[in-house]
Amino acid sequence: MAEDLLKKEEMDDTEELLEEDDSQKGMFMTFQIGKEFFGISISYVNEIIAMQPIAAIPEVDDYIKGLINLRGKIIPVIDVRTRFKMEPCEYTDRTCIIVIDVKTTMIGLIVEKLADVDTIAEDSIAPPPSLGRKEHEHNKYVYGLAKTEDNVTLLLDPEKLIKQDDLVAVVEESRKEEQS
Amino acid sequence: MAEEFNTESMLDMFLYESGQLLEKLEGIILEKQDADCFDDADINEIFRIMHTIKGSSGVLMYENITKVTHKLEDVFYYLRESHPDDVPHMELVEKVLAVSDFVTGELDKLKNGDTPDGDEKQLVEDLDEFLGRLKGEIKKQGIEMPQANRHVEPTQFYITPVAGDDSHFYRISIHYRSDTQMSNLRAYSATYALKEVAEDLLYTPDDILSNEASADVIVAEGFHMLLQTKSSKEEVIALIDSSEAEEINFDELTKEEYGNALGEFGREDAVPAPQPVEAAKSDEKEAKKEGPKPGDYVVKTKEAGKGKTLAKNQPKQQSIISVNVEKMDALMDLIGELVIAEAVVLQNPDLKVPGLELSNFQKASGQLSKITTELQEVIMSMRMMPLTNVFQKMRRIVFDVSRKLGKDIELEVIGENTEVDKNIIEHITDPLMHLVRNSVDHGIEENAEDRTSIGKPAKGKITLEAKNEGGKVYISVKDDGKGLNKEKLYQKALEKGVIENKPMSEFSEKEIFRFITLPGFSTKEEVTEYSGRGVGMDVVVKNIQSISGRLDISSVEFEGSEMTLVIPLTLAIINGIVVQVGNSPFVIETASIKEFVRVGEDSLIQEPSGEEYIVLRGECFPFIRLNEKYDLPDSVNKIEEGIIVVLEHEGSQVCVLIDKLLQEQEIVVKPIPSYVRKVKGLSGCTQLGDGSIALILDIAGLLMHDGERR
Amino acid sequence: MKILLAEDDFASRKFMDKQLSRYGECDVMVDGEEAVDAFMMALEDGEPYDLACLDVMMPVMDGYQVLKAIRDIEAQKGIPKSKRVKVIMTTALNDERNVKMAFELGCEAYAGKPIDVEKFEKVLKKLGLI
Repeated sequence: MAEDLLKKEEMDDTEELLEEDDSQKGMFMTFQIGKEFFGISISYVNEIIAMQPIAAIPEVDDYIKGLINLRGKIIPVIDVRTRFKMEPCEYTDRTCIIVIDVKTTMIGLIVEKLADVDTIAEDSIAPPPSLGRKEHEHNKYVYGLAKTEDNVTLLLDPEKLIKQDDLVAVVEESRKEEQS
Repeated sequence: MAEEFNTESMLDMFLYESGQLLEKLEGIILEKQDADCFDDADINEIFRIMHTIKGSSGVLMYENITKVTHKLEDVFYYLRESHPDDVPHMELVEKVLAVSDFVTGELDKLKNGDTPDGDEKQLVEDLDEFLGRLKGEIKKQGIEMPQANRHVEPTQFYITPVAGDDSHFYRISIHYRSDTQMSNLRAYSATYALKEVAEDLLYTPDDILSNEASADVIVAEGFHMLLQTKSSKEEVIALIDSSEAEEINFDELTKEEYGNALGEFGREDAVPAPQPVEAAKSDEKEAKKEGPKPGDYVVKTKEAGKGKTLAKNQPKQQSIISVNVEKMDALMDLIGELVIAEAVVLQNPDLKVPGLELSNFQKASGQLSKITTELQEVIMSMRMMPLTNVFQKMRRIVFDVSRKLGKDIELEVIGENTEVDKNIIEHITDPLMHLVRNSVDHGIEENAEDRTSIGKPAKGKITLEAKNEGGKVYISVKDDGKGLNKEKLYQKALEKGVIENKPMSEFSEKEIFRFITLPGFSTKEEVTEYSGRGVGMDVVVKNIQSISGRLDISSVEFEGSEMTLVIPLTLAIINGIVVQVGNSPFVIETASIKEFVRVGEDSLIQEPSGEEYIVLRGECFPFIRLNEKYDLPDSVNKIEEGIIVVLEHEGSQVCVLIDKLLQEQEIVVKPIPSYVRKVKGLSGCTQLGDGSIALILDIAGLLMHDGERR
Repeated sequence: MKILLAEDDFASRKFMDKQLSRYGECDVMVDGEEAVDAFMMALEDGEPYDLACLDVMMPVMDGYQVLKAIRDIEAQKGIPKSKRVKVIMTTALNDERNVKMAFELGCEAYAGKPIDVEKFEKVLKKLGLI
């Protein structure tokens, strides 16, 4: 019983924290890839850094670009463009890395161009387009659409963005190992 | 509960002391198990150990422990006083171990907060019977019977506090409606009601009756209570008058949380105190240095308006402190960072301006390097622990298993003071245990006749040896048993299908021996209690590889086998050589590099399958082009333009083509972030002097990969 | 049996009083000085206590001081060891040095709080009080 109570208490605490921090609520870091705008809830974002030399790792998925050294911490970086199976493009001086922290995993996201930090009201977020449309690879990472005056921002779920395929792959891998 | 300045509780002290004594006892016993009898010094020591445990367990009223140790003390009392001959030594050894096991078991229960409820009757009866025979023997040998051992019942007792298993700890906060009149009286009635069931009760504000102003505080901030009770939440809630209350918060706490919360409530007598209170009270300091005295605990009157305050004990001056391993690890990491930072400074490109006068800088940087190196050595030595305890466990295993299997085996231990990094000790205990068990079970022959018939002494011998050589620790388990039969191993491997039908001649001796480390491979026909479940050797190898160690096997049939664990002294910092392939730097551990050579095309052999080999001085080595393997652009492709590195791991060698050598330096090993799936052939990464990242090559992984391809 | 209980904390006092009253008449004091006074008085009246349960942390005099005072008074009056009042210290201070000191001062038992009632009774038996 004690544990249950405690857990509940913890949860209350975190909720409180989020509520208290009104400044972060409904705020999204938006960035541009190709012509489209994407958004990530700012609560995941640790910091934005300029493009850095990346140490490539062999034999990994192409969207995992490699490792960077963030003040002594070594973190992996993934290219969001490649992740969405879009044609890769040159990194320019506008390219930057959004360092996000998802469930204690620190990961850098390479994005072409940062747009802005926007406040998006909850009621202006629409569910993602129907699953029938498969033309966009990135749809599966999108949990909502936010319409602003002049464009539509696709809101990304960072957990899906960094996990999904990998998880599937890991499971498959372990199955293979078991069989052999 | 490990508050640094909290002196040990009575119970902890008892557990600690008894644990130490038992360890010492086992040491004596196992050392002397093969002797004919204990000498006087041992008997005295065992007597003393039993006497001490008996005494302290008596004071703490753990009666079963007292009874058992009391009996064994009696036995040793007669041995000490009468020196009878022909004491059945082996039986005595078993008795002592039985007692030691019993007490250890009970102590473990206490450590887990359970009641030591082991049944001592059988053991006491056994000891009584043994003692009876011993007395008979003494009479028969015509030695004067000593006066019965006089036992002084303890006259002072220590009642250990109840562990609080059935006590609940609650934090209760009552918020009264803002228009509540005389909320202080309501609060008081709540405390009064709770006192019926409370084992402990604290509340704030605590001057609810004497200070009418407290009513305002209660309305504004609520009334908070800490309660320790055996009653359930429902019972407690029922006791509190909830009229006028706007909100009652009710949290159940763990004992630790409760202890911490006590501090918030201004009480510091219970376990942890959030901050030392000594500083302000200089007048009391003198008294505290020498430990408690009567009068130290007078409770100051409450005039100050705050809760009870009392003097705290100053810890004794000690020359040894225990440090949380996590803190050590953190320090280790920091020193790793420092080593890197140092390299960043000393190899800074800004220094490479031509014509820069640097002699003073060089001098200063030399000094800095010296200090960081020393710092590294010191932290390493802090983490080093002797293998003594691990080896002690092995003695016990040899003793137990050989007795059970009816084998007569002597264990020789060499170099038990060899020191190894604490992390490594944790990793080698299980593998070593397995190897020792294997040696006793499979290594030494079933019957003594099998040994004597080929001219070996009837008694088997196992040697456990540790030594430290060239940055590596070698721990070997050697037996003089029947050794490994190559033919049998080969046949078994065929049956299991782990090798395709290659003839035996294609395998070297070492390779055949290594079959036993394959999963599911056990050479013994039947499974025994101690080994041979088919899991084991492969797990041993995996464990050892996880700490970058290896297992060497050598054996001569009929003469015995030797299993050697070769493990690094430490894990965190290695000596490495940085090489470059394409644009990427890689690190290779210096210890695994045999040589660097430049060769021409003519040394390269290409098989039709695409396999490549390098011939060096008539020997043929598998060849890996790192650039192809890892798909690295812009790298040297012609073999004569690059450098060949010959790498060795567990006796196998492989040649690797790289572009050029960069430098040799100390490398702080960091794991590749777990998000990136494990890449075969890479064991980690590190930060180089210029801040860039290099991947560390894992030779074992490279070889394995290469083998799979074949 | 005649019992002296010295305990300043209300909740503990109530608990101990309830426990001890089963064995005999129990006089309850709230600070160290009162406890010594009560002990003195009983001695002079010729009806000394059989058992004294002393809390350590108390106002005016702490439990160790009370214990020392009691033993000093007994020594001064020439009371033989076997006739001395049996003293049980009751406290949450369980570190070894405190326990040792209390033993040296001459208490019969040292009970850590929260008190293990079963063991407490066992000790009373061992001390020959019940």
